[in-house]
Amino acid sequence: MSSVSDRVVAVTARVLKVDPENVKPEDNFTADLGAESVQSIELVAMFEEEFDIEMEEEAALSVETVGAATEFITKVCQEQGKL
Amino acid sequence: MHLILLDLPHTKRHQFYPLTLSRPVWELRCGITSLGEKLVAKTRPQQVSCFVPPYMAEAYREQTDWPVNDPASLSADDLLIVSGRVKADHLDLKSLQAGEAVFDRTGELLFTRLSGRDLDSLNTTSIDDLLSSIKESKSIIERDVPTWNYTWELVLANAEQLKRDFVAAQRHGIEGKVEEPSALRGARFDIYVAPGALVHPMVVIDAEHGPVYIDEGAEIHPFTRIEGPCYIGKNSILLGAKCREGTSIGPVCRVGGEIEEAIVHGHSNKYHDGFLGHAYVGEWVNLGAMTSNSDLKNDYSNVTVSLDGRNPIDTGSKKVGALIGDHTKTSIGTLFNTGAYVGAMAVIAATGKPLPKYIPSFAWFLEGVVTKGFGKRKLYETAQTVMGRRGREWSAAQQSMWDEIFNITAPERAEAVKKGRRTLRSQNA
Repeated sequence: MSSVSDRVVAVTARVLKVDPENVKPEDNFTADLGAESVQSIELVAMFEEEFDIEMEEEAALSVETVGAATEFITKVCQEQGKL
Repeated sequence: MHLILLDLPHTKRHQFYPLTLSRPVWELRCGITSLGEKLVAKTRPQQVSCFVPPYMAEAYREQTDWPVNDPASLSADDLLIVSGRVKADHLDLKSLQAGEAVFDRTGELLFTRLSGRDLDSLNTTSIDDLLSSIKESKSIIERDVPTWNYTWELVLANAEQLKRDFVAAQRHGIEGKVEEPSALRGARFDIYVAPGALVHPMVVIDAEHGPVYIDEGAEIHPFTRIEGPCYIGKNSILLGAKCREGTSIGPVCRVGGEIEEAIVHGHSNKYHDGFLGHAYVGEWVNLGAMTSNSDLKNDYSNVTVSLDGRNPIDTGSKKVGALIGDHTKTSIGTLFNTGAYVGAMAVIAATGKPLPKYIPSFAWFLEGVVTKGFGKRKLYETAQTVMGRRGREWSAAQQSMWDEIFNITAPERAEAVKKGRRTLRSQNA
């Protein structure tokens, strides 16, 4: 199975319609990947669907980079027994 | 006589959602006044108290002078206890024999009258205890007393209720200002413009088929047409609106576009063009430009409404529009389907197509699906701003009530959010 990081990159690329090869952990969703506010919400929804988790929306939306998202989602997955 | 109004949990109050998520059922409007005002006018009590779901008691205390959920109010000498759903016009106290209590077929008390002697033998520790002891000791009558059972019944009855309320109000003529040139049709006796109300030039008030009541401080801008029966609430503004028959607009609303046989509870805006028909709109709602609802199906069959996102209820009517909860906001171009249920505190972004018929409370409807959006705190911030603009406070009690409403409505929302994720996933695949 792919790592959390790989899956975060795949979802990010799919939602934001960017090449997964160009998505780096340090990329900022807004500044580097061009996510608009509605897409940020869509990203949170797609991460929840991908990992079968429930994220607190304000905390999730405060995550700024792809790497931070991986860390955040890993933590939530552990808390919710999904890893 | 001391009137006790009841709107308790585990009754049919959920059938008035999303409007009664945040208010007792008797606060709903039909005609010129609320259901509670009609019950008070009918029974003429010396005092009124009420019992509401505990989660809204504190917030409701901020809006009423009546004692709320106070067991001390159960110790009066002459109590008339009435469900807020009972139709005031049909409340027949004379038909009630001593020692009787009228319940509906589901076991909900509709009304009873208790003397001090009756109360001596009943448990008045709490309203629940009192109702239990009434069931044990009084003669129970199951009777088909006319009651309100769904929100759309208020909408469908609004035109006739407006006529009755106008007669009851006994107000006629122009006490405010009507600027010339004006166009008043029908009998002047059927038009009332209250003191402080201002009707601009080039306004048509057509009372030929029903009365028109324009309340204090209301302002009617040019090129508005008001067809009776119709009520325009205190300090509301109509902006070139086509305000058709059977419409009630509560206080401090801004209304433009076309509105027909609809009830706007109060403090809500429908500033721009767009059609609203056979709808009930709650408080602090903002409908963006060109927001419209369908109120008639293309095959002219009965409209169904789902109050839970699952089970459609046949309204028995060919015309039912949207039911829109408090604090909900729509974007420009939003299209509501026939008989749409739009929860409270929802944010709706148009899709260019009619939206799903059920949108839960606290939903952020974006990109055609229900999402968690930016969460409830952001919604509360907006509510605070919106209320502040009209000089009203978003209080701690309000927030506490809405927190509980968030919990009450969580199951339907969670289901809709999951469905939304699946839709997004398939769109992104």
